[in-house]
Formats: sequence, C-alpha cells, structure tokens
Amino acid sequence: MVAEDRINMDIYKVVTRAIASSDNLEDMATQLTQLLVGALGIKGSTIFVLNPATEELEVLASFGLSINYMNKGPILVKKSLDHQLRGEPVVIRDVTKSDRLQYPEDAKKEGISAIVSLPISLHGKLIGVLRLYHYEQWDVSERDLDSLVIFTENIGLALMYTRLLQALKSVKETVDEVHPIWLD
Amino acid sequence: MDTPKILLPYNFTSYDKKALDFVCLTFSDKKNAEVTLFNAYTPTPTIEMRGSPIMEQMKDNLSYLSQRVKEQEDALKTIKNHLLGKGFSADKIAIVFEPKKRDVAGDIIDLVKDGRFDVVVLNRKPGKIARFFAGSVSSKVVAALKNATVCIVS
Repeated sequence: MVAEDRINMDIYKVVTRAIASSDNLEDMATQLTQLLVGALGIKGSTIFVLNPATEELEVLASFGLSINYMNKGPILVKKSLDHQLRGEPVVIRDVTKSDRLQYPEDAKKEGISAIVSLPISLHGKLIGVLRLYHYEQWDVSERDLDSLVIFTENIGLALMYTRLLQALKSVKETVDEVHPIWLD
Repeated sequence: MDTPKILLPYNFTSYDKKALDFVCLTFSDKKNAEVTLFNAYTPTPTIEMRGSPIMEQMKDNLSYLSQRVKEQEDALKTIKNHLLGKGFSADKIAIVFEPKKRDVAGDIIDLVKDGRFDVVVLNRKPGKIARFFAGSVSSKVVAALKNATVCIVS
C-alpha cells in the first residue's frame, strides 16, 4: 500500500512561516509543535535539544502529550531510538512491534501507536530531535519524510540564530552597564 | 514581611516540585502568607492563510487544545490542594493560568512590577542545555526586578 502524503504546499508554507517569523525560540518551538499536530492530525509533537554532557534529550517545547507522559523520566539519546546519532530519521510504524523505545509501557499508556523521530543537526552535529506521535499506526510517505527533514534543518538554523541573539543581548547588557566615567 | 505575597511559577516538572516544597517549608507557618501559582501557556498560532482548506483542518485538529488547557488547570488545582494540606488558607491561595503575553520571564516580571508580589520562587535545573538556546528565565527575572525577593531553588 502506498503511504498517503499529508504535507501539502499550504502546510509547508504555514510551518515554514512559523519558524521564520518569531524571535522567541520557545514560542516558535511550541507553535511549531501545535501546527504539526494540527496539520498532520496526529496526537502530539515534541522538540528536544540534546545535552551533550549528559546525552539527555531536554524538552524545548511540546504539544498534545499528557503531563504524566512528559515526566516519565530522563530521555537518553542512546537508549531512545539510538540511531539518532547517525543522523537518520526513524519511523516506528507500530510501537508494539518495536524494541527501540526507552519507555514502551508509558507510550502504550499514553495511547501512542507510532513515532516519527527526526534529528535536528547543524554542521553535521546532532543538536536536537523533533518527534511526532500518532495515536494510530502510521506509514509516512517518502515525500512527507523529506518535508519533515527540511523542517528540522530550518529548526536547527532557528536554534542557532536565537542562540546568537541571546549572546548579542548579553553583550549589549554588559556594555550598557559600563559607566561613562570608566571611559573618560 | 509578616504577610508575604509569594509568586510561584509552576510548570509541573520535578524542579517545580522542589520549589513547591521550599514554599511549604518556608512559609506554611506564616498564617497570612499568600501564594499564587502561575502558569502561562502558549496560545495557538494565528495563521495568515485565509480561504485555505488548511485553516479548517488545523482548527478541527487543534480543537482539543482547550482540553489540554483544562488538564493543566486541573493539575494546578491539585497543587493548590497540596498547599492546603500543608496549612495554607484556602482564601490565601490563587491560581493565575493564562496565555503568555510576552515570554515566561517577561510575564513574571510584569506581575511582580504590578506590585502584587514581594517574593518570587523560581527553580533552576543545573546544566540545562535548553537555557543555552532560549536564555534563562531566572537570570532575566533576577536582573529585572528591584525591591523583591527572588528565591531560586536548584
């Protein structure tokens, strides 16, 4: 059976505009998760950033998942769909038939049947992960997967852009604190 | 500070629970202490795509955002019950649950600057990488507030 394309040009435009139009990273990320859930008709979506020191995926934004599921425990990149490190998207069409989940029981309780996980990379390095959760089994089409990969590339750029903006603001605050008397 | 007015931003993580425990431990014996639980959620995006079928599809699929909002509201009520159990008076506990106006730090600063609170209890997870990208709420609040006590539970 050929998988159905869900991402059309309208969805593509809406999501891309959402990424490009905000200078607040958390709002952008949250709205992006909302848009993906709304546009694809899925259960939930989460954007994680990778903590390189602990190899833990930290939630940056999420939509559609319960508080209990979000607090299920630390998500370790090596235990949770570990091939993320190789930079390839992962599609778990049916979670009951997969042994790659770190918390399979929690996923079942949450009503998650399928997971699509996409690495967010910058200059070839993994900096985060976008995950989509569906309440039914999900065959993602090649075209949709391509579109999702492009979204994650844009998210990676947005992450770095907002990081640079934060750094610039910090520099400005420090400069603003310099008393004129020190410059005489 | 006989009747401290405490603002406790709460986002349901284990570190929020630590901050809650700190508030209970420090202020529950103060008879008139007032605690306000604060949670700001991100409203759904407004999309400039009028006339497109995508709008209807999005609206249908996002309709359960209101259910999620209800879930968050109920969870805050559970925290309120926890405070009641620790000895705070029911009439001294409030819940502020509203869409974000600026960002979390900005909204906290605005609430305190409005003069409604003299203590803010924040939490901070050490080594959190998300701060590297999004900035630190506690740093922004500490830098912006004057004449307020800011406690950071880590």
